[in-house]
Amino acid sequence: MGRRWRLLRGRAARAVRSWLHLWRSSLQVRVITSTLAIGLVALLLVGAYVGERMRDGLFEARLQQVLEESARSTQQAQDTFDSSTATTGVEVQRLLRDVAAAQRTGGVGEREVFLLRAPGQTSPLSVAAAASNAALVDLVSPELRAATADGGQRWQSVALPVGADDGTPDGSDDAATVVPAVVVGQDVNVPVVGTYQLFFLYSLQSEQDRLDFLQRTLAAAGAALVVLLGTMTWVVTRQVVHPVRRAAQVAERLAGGDLSERMTVHGQDEMATLARSFNEMAAGLQEQIHRMEELSALQRRFVSDVSHELRTPLTTIRMAGEVIHAARQDFDPAVRRSAELLATQLDRFEDLLAELLEISRFDAGAAVLDAESRDLRDVVVRVVDQATPLAERRGSWLQVVVPDEPPVADIDPRRVERILRNLIVNAVEHAEGTPVEVTVGADAQAVAVTVRDHGVGMTADEAARVFDRFWRADPARARTTGGTGLGLAISLEDAHLHGGWLQAWGRPGRGACFRLTLPRRAGIRLTASPLPLVPDEPEPSTDAVPVTVARPRTDPAALPDLAGAHEPGVHEPGEDEPAPGGEQKATDVGADEAARDGGSARPARGGVAADERRPSSAADGRPRSDGAADAERQGVR
Amino acid sequence: MTRMKGRVLVVDDDTALAEMIGIVLRSEGFEPVFCEDGDEALGVFRQTQPDLVLLDLMLPGRDGNEVCRQIRAESGVPIVMLTAKSDTVDVVLGLESGADDYISKPFKPKELVARVRARLRRSDEPAPEHLTIGDVTIDVPGHRVQRAGRPISLTPLEFDLLVALARKPWQVFTREVLLEKVWGYRHAADTRLVNVHVQRLRSKIENDPEQPEIVVTVRGVGYKAGVTTA
Repeated sequence: MGRRWRLLRGRAARAVRSWLHLWRSSLQVRVITSTLAIGLVALLLVGAYVGERMRDGLFEARLQQVLEESARSTQQAQDTFDSSTATTGVEVQRLLRDVAAAQRTGGVGEREVFLLRAPGQTSPLSVAAAASNAALVDLVSPELRAATADGGQRWQSVALPVGADDGTPDGSDDAATVVPAVVVGQDVNVPVVGTYQLFFLYSLQSEQDRLDFLQRTLAAAGAALVVLLGTMTWVVTRQVVHPVRRAAQVAERLAGGDLSERMTVHGQDEMATLARSFNEMAAGLQEQIHRMEELSALQRRFVSDVSHELRTPLTTIRMAGEVIHAARQDFDPAVRRSAELLATQLDRFEDLLAELLEISRFDAGAAVLDAESRDLRDVVVRVVDQATPLAERRGSWLQVVVPDEPPVADIDPRRVERILRNLIVNAVEHAEGTPVEVTVGADAQAVAVTVRDHGVGMTADEAARVFDRFWRADPARARTTGGTGLGLAISLEDAHLHGGWLQAWGRPGRGACFRLTLPRRAGIRLTASPLPLVPDEPEPSTDAVPVTVARPRTDPAALPDLAGAHEPGVHEPGEDEPAPGGEQKATDVGADEAARDGGSARPARGGVAADERRPSSAADGRPRSDGAADAERQGVR
Repeated sequence: MTRMKGRVLVVDDDTALAEMIGIVLRSEGFEPVFCEDGDEALGVFRQTQPDLVLLDLMLPGRDGNEVCRQIRAESGVPIVMLTAKSDTVDVVLGLESGADDYISKPFKPKELVARVRARLRRSDEPAPEHLTIGDVTIDVPGHRVQRAGRPISLTPLEFDLLVALARKPWQVFTREVLLEKVWGYRHAADTRLVNVHVQRLRSKIENDPEQPEIVVTVRGVGYKAGVTTA
């Protein structure tokens, strides 16, 4: 029982909720419901009033007729009694019966006649009452009889059991169906036995039928009116709501990027004005966006073309420089030094050009992920191997912590390697002889690498800006060490391309920590990282500032601005998981998914990652720890 | 033979760069031949019969890919592309039109020479060696490959790739290892080179390149030779 009740209640609650939802979400439903409710109430009131008036009118008319007729008949009966010669009880009895029988059919329609002895009559001789239908005598109430005894014509409404009116007594289920009837009574003087009361019972069956018919008609008309009202409201609201809905749909599609979407304009009314204004707005928007896109594309192409055009002469210069450099021993010291400077600055120039190209590729959305399933440990170990000589030169050592479970993820090894190389070389450059800890972690959703150094560290503000392009905290120092200032910016883009995070934490004097988090597979949206960004150390980390820099990749306006197009999202102090960046991440992940889909591990035509190979390292055996990343952190300190 | 280490045809419209490449190659003992126009490239190639072609992708007249296809149609000579656009489709297109390797501008002389050497280096011919993968038989010294008795023509690079896999059929080769063994890269480089050439190799030796049996992909690792049945 309780369960059924709960079930029922649950169902009712659901119905109410869905109705509430409909009520809130649809203007049309609201208008139609209100109109119908108000219309229904009005119709019910009007119907009740009209019905009442009809009933009263019918009843009054019939009553008038009945009273007149019964008065006439009573007079007739009185005349009969007056002219009677009956003297004995038996004669009187017969007289009464005759009169009753005669009066029964004496009226316009059928009626029942009762001749009852008046109450309080003291005549010694008494005869039985006469009735045309003895079963209905009970309908004459004592009150009516008492009232009639006071003289004059009296009437009372009664309920006449159906089935009795055709003369067949049926007392068993008198309550079953009744029709209204009227009993009219008046005293008559009967010879010998004194005053009797003559009652006529008139059935109002025909009036009731008429009333029923009228009421049915009224109800049908009312129902028709309600339906009509509903339909009218529906049509009217549709006329209003439909264009609004269309406008909403079109606006949605416009917002979704379908800029050619327009509303259809009908006629000259307000809706047409709305549609026209809307279309004008859409056209203006489209034009504006188109212009910006063109400008942006032009700028991107310009950067790309310039970079490409520079490459051929740079190749010649570089080869010439190398040849001169190789022969520098034959020159006098000034020329020799010049040759050396030429060679090193050519390296730097080349790095800058390469990274500029890489960034412009990201900006153009041309960067494609060439993902394959890889064990992150292998990538980390390779990068660490490459960075070891540098670490030895700098007097630090690299410490690697890897999990036992293979942290396998779908990654683009070239890009992940580039990120890790940047981070590790960066950390070594700033470790100032302290160890650099590289930790690999994994959970069901993601893999992560943190690179931690214990060098001079950086402030929260610096950590927030460390991924900005060409950003340097100390420009003078960075200039002397070279580097492009784009290394970490590119790393961030690489991480975003994976749908991953790249975050930085730092405190002056406590070193810095960079964390790379990558989803295990395309389509996984990161919510947490397997590794903490803020080191778990005794010192309070309340003012730690993890930083996520997320830039919507689809924003063309942000593209031409190479320097500082990001909005750094700064986290709550001490909070490990990057909630604020998470929202922006969502858009990033979407774009990245598309990118990942395009770049499968197979070298399908056109679906292969943009590649900026650095063959220099292959040829001269130099670890590919170029100075780019160094400069990033150099600038930071 | 008056030839020193080998004749290299340099197809590049930038005369300064071509001349510089010539200087570098000559200093390393190669014999450079030049061509500035895509339309003439094939004629010069036939005439000079070089041991290797350095081909710029952006050329007046026929573009580099077209020239590459033409040369590949009649010769298996190593082709190394020079490209200023190392991104996206360009490299893959070049590799798919038959180039064995590529160098992206700007490059260093050492790098150029290393790539040229790697492609010209022919392993010292070992004792007669016959390898089989499935129904593919490889005559290593004779540079001949047959599948079910039908001879298959492979470029030297594709041949090297197949031999590398066939020599150790039990081993799974990562792309990096193959880059090192076949292309001579000492450091991890562009693994697309491997991908594209494995596809090309498959298209020649597999019955159904979509479901390879000779060169099998090991997901997440690399490639291995198919199971030698029978």
